[in-house]
Amino acid sequence: MTDKITDPVALWQKMVGDMEKGFNSFATKAMETPEFSQAMNRAGGAAAGAQKQFGDLMEKYLLSMNLPSREQMTGIAERLQAIEGQIGEIKSMLSQMSANSGDAQIGVAPRPPRTKRPPSEGGEQK
Amino acid sequence: MNGPTGLDFAAIPDRIQSEVQRAIQRSIKGVEYFSSSGPTLGSTPKDVLHSRGTMSLYHYRPMSDEIYRVPVLVVMATTNRGYILDLVPGQSFIEFLLKRGYDVYMLDWSAPRPEEKSLRMEDYVLDFIPDCVRRVQADSGEQDVSVIGYCFGGVLSLLYGSIFPDGPMKNLICFTTPIDFREMKLFSNFSDRRYFDVDRLVDSVGNVPPEMILSSFEMLRPASRTVSQIQLWENIWNDEFVKSYRMFDRWATDTLPLAGEYFRTITKDLMWDNKLYNDTMSVGGRPAKLENIKVPMLHAVAEHDHIVPYEAAKHLIAKIGSDDKEEVMLKGGHVSLVAGANAVKRLWPKLDSWLGTRST
Repeated sequence: MTDKITDPVALWQKMVGDMEKGFNSFATKAMETPEFSQAMNRAGGAAAGAQKQFGDLMEKYLLSMNLPSREQMTGIAERLQAIEGQIGEIKSMLSQMSANSGDAQIGVAPRPPRTKRPPSEGGEQK
Repeated sequence: MNGPTGLDFAAIPDRIQSEVQRAIQRSIKGVEYFSSSGPTLGSTPKDVLHSRGTMSLYHYRPMSDEIYRVPVLVVMATTNRGYILDLVPGQSFIEFLLKRGYDVYMLDWSAPRPEEKSLRMEDYVLDFIPDCVRRVQADSGEQDVSVIGYCFGGVLSLLYGSIFPDGPMKNLICFTTPIDFREMKLFSNFSDRRYFDVDRLVDSVGNVPPEMILSSFEMLRPASRTVSQIQLWENIWNDEFVKSYRMFDRWATDTLPLAGEYFRTITKDLMWDNKLYNDTMSVGGRPAKLENIKVPMLHAVAEHDHIVPYEAAKHLIAKIGSDDKEEVMLKGGHVSLVAGANAVKRLWPKLDSWLGTRST
C-alpha cells in the first residue's frame, strides 16, 4: 500500500490544496487594500449601470416580440408559489376550524401531545 | 521497496490499475452527472402556514409520538434558501429536530419581486418576524416560542429579541451570527464608504442582484470554486462525494437578491456605522440594544468560518443581557457547521441537549 508521501496522486492533491490556500491568502491580502475597493467599485458601478440599461433594452425587445422576459417568468413562478401558499393557509385554517369544532382534522394527522421531557429529566429519547 | 526517489515501485502497478479503473468510472459517472438532476432537497413533509411576498412560513409535520411544549421557529438568512437546513434524509437538521421531538417552523425567503425593492429593515424585524411568531403561537397553541437564527437570520433574530424583550421569545439560538461588522474585513473593504455608492446602486438596480451577492461570497475565497471543480472531477467516481458536492453547490449558487432599501440599511447602519456593535442600532425608531435580550441564549460559531470570522461574532455573548448564555465553537466552516456529515456529529447533538432542557 502506498502512503501519502510516496503516492503521486496524494502528492498532486496536496499540491492542489496548497495552491488553493496560497492563492486565496494572496488574493485576500490584495483585496484588503483600499486600492482594490476603489477599482472594484468603479468597475462594479459601471457594470451595474450597464446591466440595468441592457436589462431595460432587452425587456423592450422581448415586449416587441410578444415574449415574456425572465423577470416576468419569475414573477409568474412566484405568484404560483403565493397561490400554493394561500391554498396551504386555507387548508391550515380549515384544519384549525375543524379542530375547534371537535371533529378530526381534515387531511392532517392529529398532533402529538406536548408532554415531552428531555432525557436528563427522565424523558425517553426515541 | 522504495527506490532512491522515495517511490514505492512495487505498489505502482496496483496504483495504475486503480487509477485506470477510476478514469473509466469518471467517464461513465461524468455522463450520468450531466444527464441527471441531483438529489431532491428540502423534502421533509411540511405545510405552508403563510406566504406573503418574499416571506414564507412553513410548519414541518411532527415525526415523534410526543413533542416538547415550546415550538421552534427557524429564521433563515435573507441571502439564501432554507433548504440548507433540510438537505436529504439523514443530513437534514429539520428532520433531526423533528425526530428529537421538537415542533418546528421555518421562516424562509424567496426572491423579492421588483415591487418589493422598498422593503426596509423595519418590514423584516417589526413585521415579518412578529407576524410569523404570532402565527406559530396560534398554530401551536403555545405562548412561548424558541427562535433559531442562521447567519443574517441570527442578526434579524437579535434585532427582534432586543426590540421585544418581554416575549414571547423564550430561547434564542444563533448560528454564526456577526455583530461586529468591522471585523468582516473583506466585506467591509468591498463596501468602503469612500468608494461604494450604495445609493447609486440601489437607485439604479432596485433589488440587489443575486449575481452580485454570489460574487462577493466567492471573492472571499477566489480559488476555491476552481479547485472544487477539480476535486469533483477527481472524485466523480465516488457517488457519496458527488451527491454531497451537488447538494452544497446547488445551495451555494442559489443565492437570493436582496430588497434594495433593506440592503441600503445593512450597508449604512451595519457595515459603515457598525451600529449593532456600538449599541446605537434602531429599527423604525425603536432602539435595538443587545443588552435588552434576557432570554437563555446559545451562540454556535465555526472555527474555520471564512464568511463570518470569529472576530466578527465573538462579542455577541458578552453583549447579551441574559444570565443563561453560552458560546460554543465547533470545528467546521460557515456551512459545514450547520449542515452535512460533521454537523450531524457536532452541532446538532449539542443544540438538542441545550434546547431540550429549556423547551418544557
